[in-house]
Amino acid sequence: MKLAGNDMLIQSLINEGVEYIFGYPGGAALHIYDAIFNQKDMQHILVRHEQGATHAADGYARATGKPGVVMLTSGPGATNAITGIATAFMDSIPMIVISGQVQSHLIGTDAFQETDMIGISRPIVKHSFTVDHQESIPKIVKEAFHIATSGRQGPVVIDVPKDLTNPDDLFDYEYPNDVNIRSYNPPVEPEESQIVRVVEALKEAKRPVIYAGGGTIASNASEELRELNNYIKAPVTNTLMGLGVYPGTDKYFLGMLGMHGTYQANMAMHNADLILAVGARFDDRITNTPEKFAPKAKIVHFDVDHSSVSKIIEADIAVFGQVKNSLKQINNKLKSESAHFSDDKYADWHKQIDVWRQEHGLDHDMYKNLDDSLPVSPQAAVQQIYQSSGGKAFVTSDVGQHQMFAAQYYHFDEPRKWINSGGLGTMGFGLPSAMGVKLAYPDEEVICITGEGSIQMCIQELSTCSQYKLPIKIFNINNLALGMVKQWQDMNYDGRHSSISYEDSLPDFSKLAESYGHVGIKITKNSELKSGIEKALSLKDELVFVDIYVDPNEHVYPMLVAPNGSLKDMWLSKGNKT
Amino acid sequence: MIERQLTLIMENKPGALARVVGLFHQRGYNIDSLHVDPIKDLKKYEFIEKELDIKFHENEISKLIIKTTVADSLMRQILRQINKLIEVIAVSDNDSTYLKGILRNENLL
Ligand SMILES: Cc1ncc(C[n+]2csc(CCOP(=O)(O)OP(=O)(O)O)c2C)c(N)n1
Ligand SMILES: [Mg+2]
Repeated sequence: MKLAGNDMLIQSLINEGVEYIFGYPGGAALHIYDAIFNQKDMQHILVRHEQGATHAADGYARATGKPGVVMLTSGPGATNAITGIATAFMDSIPMIVISGQVQSHLIGTDAFQETDMIGISRPIVKHSFTVDHQESIPKIVKEAFHIATSGRQGPVVIDVPKDLTNPDDLFDYEYPNDVNIRSYNPPVEPEESQIVRVVEALKEAKRPVIYAGGGTIASNASEELRELNNYIKAPVTNTLMGLGVYPGTDKYFLGMLGMHGTYQANMAMHNADLILAVGARFDDRITNTPEKFAPKAKIVHFDVDHSSVSKIIEADIAVFGQVKNSLKQINNKLKSESAHFSDDKYADWHKQIDVWRQEHGLDHDMYKNLDDSLPVSPQAAVQQIYQSSGGKAFVTSDVGQHQMFAAQYYHFDEPRKWINSGGLGTMGFGLPSAMGVKLAYPDEEVICITGEGSIQMCIQELSTCSQYKLPIKIFNINNLALGMVKQWQDMNYDGRHSSISYEDSLPDFSKLAESYGHVGIKITKNSELKSGIEKALSLKDELVFVDIYVDPNEHVYPMLVAPNGSLKDMWLSKGNKT
Repeated sequence: MIERQLTLIMENKPGALARVVGLFHQRGYNIDSLHVDPIKDLKKYEFIEKELDIKFHENEISKLIIKTTVADSLMRQILRQINKLIEVIAVSDNDSTYLKGILRNENLL
């Protein structure tokens, strides 16, 4: 088959099984967009800003495990996508970003809409390619998908000069079946000797904790993790990125750990004698002061990325490989060692954890017994959303207090249902990522829990939702302020509220949503909370924007004491610490 | 802190060197000196060809020598970060080598 560069590019994506491309056209991408017009296998979703395209592709990838695909023009199209690429990079999300580039002979001349996309994106991609000839397009696309989806996953950029997509120049096209990059070989199977050491450590342990993160989800190892804990019955905590990989309603689940983790999760980590870190990377939001992290614990670290192990916290046992494969091997060993893991092996440890849970665990019943003389609490709002959606929804979020409340009070029993920007903490992520999820799962409930600050960073995508009929349910936890920043100013700057309020300039969000053709609901009192949320969820075919006015003075607790604190040092409420 | 030498064998492709140099800056390490040459005499690297079952051609791969002054504890991290670059085939310090992602406890380069 003979094809031109533009058709080769599109045909290669079709050969990869791509369903959706999220993008925005422009001069350097015109030939490519003509090729998109001429095919029926993929749908192009026209966003309203390239940041929206990257987050939508990212949401699609997080929910499905398949790479998200983004199409951009050169210059401003490419630079607008940078925040979204960095967001995917920090959370190791597979993504293919194709950027148009000025014609080859103009590169380096400061041509109209020329930017060095490869240079600008270099520190925030797993790898990148410049197309040097039409005939290398299929191979580059094949390699890009392979790199994005293997080992530690991540975004890959393909920059395509316009002349190499010219429809008049035809070349032989054949999509490669196999890919072999001679300099790239991410680990898959762990070394058996390490697996034996882990099982021995588990036998000796008295106070083990499983600490599982986003890498466990990326490796599709949720089932293996659950099986592992059927054998050993240890307490389990998840990072913000890992929520759902272990059932949020399981009796062995401690809740999230870290900066705004539960008291029992942080205390268990601090007092553990063995920590099984599974696809987690000891981020500074987890460890607090690294020198004071889990002083009594032996550390076992499962990861596919050598450079993540012993980067922050030295591992006593390192297990390199795909987390899924490593856990399978552990499980095979544990099956025959069940005699060592009686049901009451860790009974004293579980008892201690229950005491912690009783003392300072989160109150999950705040949505009951509400009173109109008090403002709506953001925690109760999230709890009601959890109750009314039966805990089964996909939930995307933005960044701030509302994100932490969502993580604390919406319990995820399945992986890939909680979609948020953990590593980069990108405000504006929630709405566009929900679009990607809804396109992937049109029959599932998709909820976006956002704040009035964050939603305004990509609010233009309400128009995209209207065009493609995406009935997402948006719950805006409206505290009239950049709440998380305000909380830090309350706690560290004697309440000097520098630039966190919009005064009276906020739009009426429900009317704004209506002007895009959606349904708007405003909730201002406790007595409207349940009925308003239920009404929104009952409108199956509508995007509903629920603007919930909440207590503007609420803080997120627990909160780790920093700097110089350990995981046992937490603020538990205003003015009250451990 | 003492000065250390790293040796890399990598694909001689446009942009590959920038990734190595960029990585040092991103991760906050300093480069004291840098030397790069396309490899003409491939004989010395036959053991890599054998081990990986590939064939190098003239000028297809480059050898980089980087000198850097860092603490012991950081050296392992630098090596691992370089190993992660897709175009790097092998990287060594005095005591160890990553050869296509697999760690050996000797300097093979
Ligand atoms: C793009 C971006 N800019 C700035 C920040 C810093 N930041 C973190 S949380 C936050 C406040 C978010 O306000 P809102 O969305 O209303 O959430 P709230 O904390 O009030 O629930 C800010 C400004 C960020 N995370 N992302
Ligand atoms: Mg707010």
